[in-house]
Amino acid sequence: MKTISVKDFFQNRKKEFSLSLITQPETMNKNIISQYLNRPGLAFAGYFERFAYQRIQILGETEISYLQSLSDEDLFNIVKEVLVYDIPCFIVTKGLSIPQQVEFLANEMNIAILSSRLTTDKLYHSLRKYLGEYFALTKTIHGTLVDVFGVGILLTGKSGIGKSECALDLVERGQRLITDDAVKIIIQDECVMGTSTNDYGHFMEVRGIGLIDVAKMFGIQAVRKQKRIDVQIELMPWKDNMDYERIGLSENYVDVLGIKIPIIYLPVSPGKNVSVIIEVVAMNYIMKLYGYDAAKEYTKKLQQDLQKKAKFRNDSLE
Amino acid sequence: MIKKTIEIVNKLGMHARPATMIVKAATKYRSDFRIRKEDMEINGKSIMGVMTLAAEFGSELDLIADGPDEEYLIKEIVELFASKFGED
Repeated sequence: MKTISVKDFFQNRKKEFSLSLITQPETMNKNIISQYLNRPGLAFAGYFERFAYQRIQILGETEISYLQSLSDEDLFNIVKEVLVYDIPCFIVTKGLSIPQQVEFLANEMNIAILSSRLTTDKLYHSLRKYLGEYFALTKTIHGTLVDVFGVGILLTGKSGIGKSECALDLVERGQRLITDDAVKIIIQDECVMGTSTNDYGHFMEVRGIGLIDVAKMFGIQAVRKQKRIDVQIELMPWKDNMDYERIGLSENYVDVLGIKIPIIYLPVSPGKNVSVIIEVVAMNYIMKLYGYDAAKEYTKKLQQDLQKKAKFRNDSLE
Repeated sequence: MIKKTIEIVNKLGMHARPATMIVKAATKYRSDFRIRKEDMEINGKSIMGVMTLAAEFGSELDLIADGPDEEYLIKEIVELFASKFGED
């Protein structure tokens, strides 16, 4: 499982979250193992059931003013009880000052207290976003990711089937390339995001030519950095006995790190214009989002026609 | 070339699902396959063609197969119609 040490977190994200260290540097030896945050108000009030101590603990104005309201003795006892837990670190928001005793005990018990100048709300949301991305499930898959009319399309299929050439054709038609050959998949807020595995730029290998730089060649409008993957299209060699979708009433799905995305098995054969079909897939996807399903519409009309004719036949027999 | 006349026996008629079943069955064979309804004749291996017939319950169709495996093709298609496509 992924972790990040408090020390690395503090050093790398000092600027982003306006952080400074209150306790001694040696206290930053714990690891952050959860993407979630906790407000330890109830723990300080003495209620330890379901205390999510393994998360970063956020101390906002409410917690601080509660701690300040306690007598020295009560404060000492309760803080000591809380600090027995294996807490990665505390972050005090709004640059608030904390009671002397808390700092003393944290140093004693070796738990870091950081201070942020951000408001509790701002820190909570940006920190949650950062941790969510840091701890997100990721995976690299062989494929090409393109943005077609705003629909993220992941092209997959065997090597040499023509994924790169197809992406190139799409780029030439005004669509945008995210990455070719290897796509890094990240799960974010129940969405499958795809991006490049490196930050070298938008390079692509074209068989017979070698490497090309798509952004330089076609311009900056031909590329983008990341995109949500909406549909996967598996390019496959045409096979006579393969059961291809004919009407489009049923949909197939694949599981990508626990999230279902629609998949289309697209037969390709020499001379077939795959790019235009991929644009059609994208437009059809958008139309379905807007509530229009051509397959359903056609079959509805057909069914009505069949019923009308059957009734007419029946009536004329009687 | 063989020709066989059948009647649509499933109540819903030849809607999308049966049409798909017919086309999928027919495309397995090498023979040409045409379906005729009244004055309309279409390619039985084309989904849009088969749906265009809009063959309702009780209507009659001519199945026409031509090629090396025509008998097998007709046999399978006739069975499909008789099975009511698993409906009713």
